[in-house]
Amino acid sequence: MSHVQLSSSALERLVARRTFPLHRRTGVCRNLFGPVDHDELSRDMKAKLREVAERDQQRWNFNFEANTPLAGDYEWEEVSAEKTPAFYLGSAQQSGRDLEPPTPVKQRPSLDSDVPETDAPGDVMERLAAPGSSTGPAETNQENRADKLNSGSPRRVPCVRRKRTSAADNNTHITDFFVKRRRAADMMISGDTRHLSKSPIPLEQTPRKRIR
Amino acid sequence: MAHCTSFPYEPVAEIGGGAYGTVYKARDTESGKFVALKNVRVQTDQNGLPVSTVREVALLKRLEQFDHPNVVRLMDVCATPRSDQETKVTLVFEHVDQDLKTYLEKAPAPGLSSDRIKDLMRQLLCGLAFLHSNQVMHRDLKPENILVTSQGQVKLADFGLAKIYSCHMALTPVVVTLWYRPPEVLLQSTYATPVDIWSTGCIFAEMFRRKPLFCGESEMDQLGKIFEVIGLPQEEEWPTGVTVSRKNFPAVKARPITDFVPEINEQGAKLLMQMLTFDPLKRISALNALEHLYFQDEETSNQDETL
Repeated sequence: MSHVQLSSSALERLVARRTFPLHRRTGVCRNLFGPVDHDELSRDMKAKLREVAERDQQRWNFNFEANTPLAGDYEWEEVSAEKTPAFYLGSAQQSGRDLEPPTPVKQRPSLDSDVPETDAPGDVMERLAAPGSSTGPAETNQENRADKLNSGSPRRVPCVRRKRTSAADNNTHITDFFVKRRRAADMMISGDTRHLSKSPIPLEQTPRKRIR
Repeated sequence: MAHCTSFPYEPVAEIGGGAYGTVYKARDTESGKFVALKNVRVQTDQNGLPVSTVREVALLKRLEQFDHPNVVRLMDVCATPRSDQETKVTLVFEHVDQDLKTYLEKAPAPGLSSDRIKDLMRQLLCGLAFLHSNQVMHRDLKPENILVTSQGQVKLADFGLAKIYSCHMALTPVVVTLWYRPPEVLLQSTYATPVDIWSTGCIFAEMFRRKPLFCGESEMDQLGKIFEVIGLPQEEEWPTGVTVSRKNFPAVKARPITDFVPEINEQGAKLLMQMLTFDPLKRISALNALEHLYFQDEETSNQDETL
């Protein structure tokens, strides 16, 4: 299962799954739903968030924004650091999460990989996950990007399949996350067949499959 | 965000996420149960919270549905936008009065009884087996984030939040505890769920000793202290592709674990050594540890008595 041969069409499929807009694949770019009123959207979002925040506030009778308790079913008290397990304190005890070794994607040598195609798995993953590579924040907004494509803005992302820069930003984390997860699972299941750092990433394990 | 104009600065007390401040704790007057708030800061962009954060929260909520007895309850997750760059995420947890660190410190003179240790260990491993079977690694298991209720129930805390914390961490000066770190993490090799078993082994030993087993001051020092106990691993066991060479360490031989944990019984010592195994692939799993003879003698002897 870890030696899936990926043809270039499989790669396309993989990429297509991870990138939302259709124009990534077809080269035909249309703004199907008309222009987006970003002010309206933003207003709606804020209203929704306010609604959620109010519900939270009511449920816990606590004003999370001001970090102050309100009257209600929960009797709030402020306790000092010494009187509570360190875990509940914000951060000092969350040691060293930032010192974790980097995600295995980039460490992993793909030398002994059986995958025959020209793109090494790591390369594909990196392109899919390239953190912010050459992609400005503006392009992560899907509607705006479509807009720009139509209007021929100089910052547009050309509809060429090999340019996958727009998979950046958030997808980075998804990929990271699942590669980590995947490894955890591998390790538990496969026992001691091979040292992990040498096994190729099973590319067929896309996020979609993992969720189910 | 509109309301942020009235909050251009955060209150001073919250810097460092309240590390030196206070915690809000409440009693539910209906159930009599306690909850506590834990705040973390998450960086946001124009798309809002990072997808990774949302995903981690979703995972924690899914785990929550199992209602596992050895995992701390996460009751709610509340997001409050702070600015365009930052959102405060408040995690509402059940409140447990003490952690294992305090529990061990408070234990009267000879320390915990061997039965008590066995019970704590069984619960700890149960919680861990549950997390691992859901493909969640803890990665930072230590006495401070193992909670012990007044009834002696063990509850693991602080797992699955790595992505949420990662931003927070970057903003907070932190004293890093290396004492529970396994060799593969210290060597910056690849790692997975066996990391938690190593930490569990360190904690197991500490329950008897009432002081940590390996108190390193740096990564290298920590590795050195580990090898003084388990011996320098064979060349072929050393992970490939790591920058730290095996040659940096003296060729020490393994010493009997009872030199360091004299109170432990024979089966306990065997289990401990299977947890403190250098090669993560040869280290015992949480599930297998629960099947270990160490946990079985008590039951078999009870059975003998009743027969």
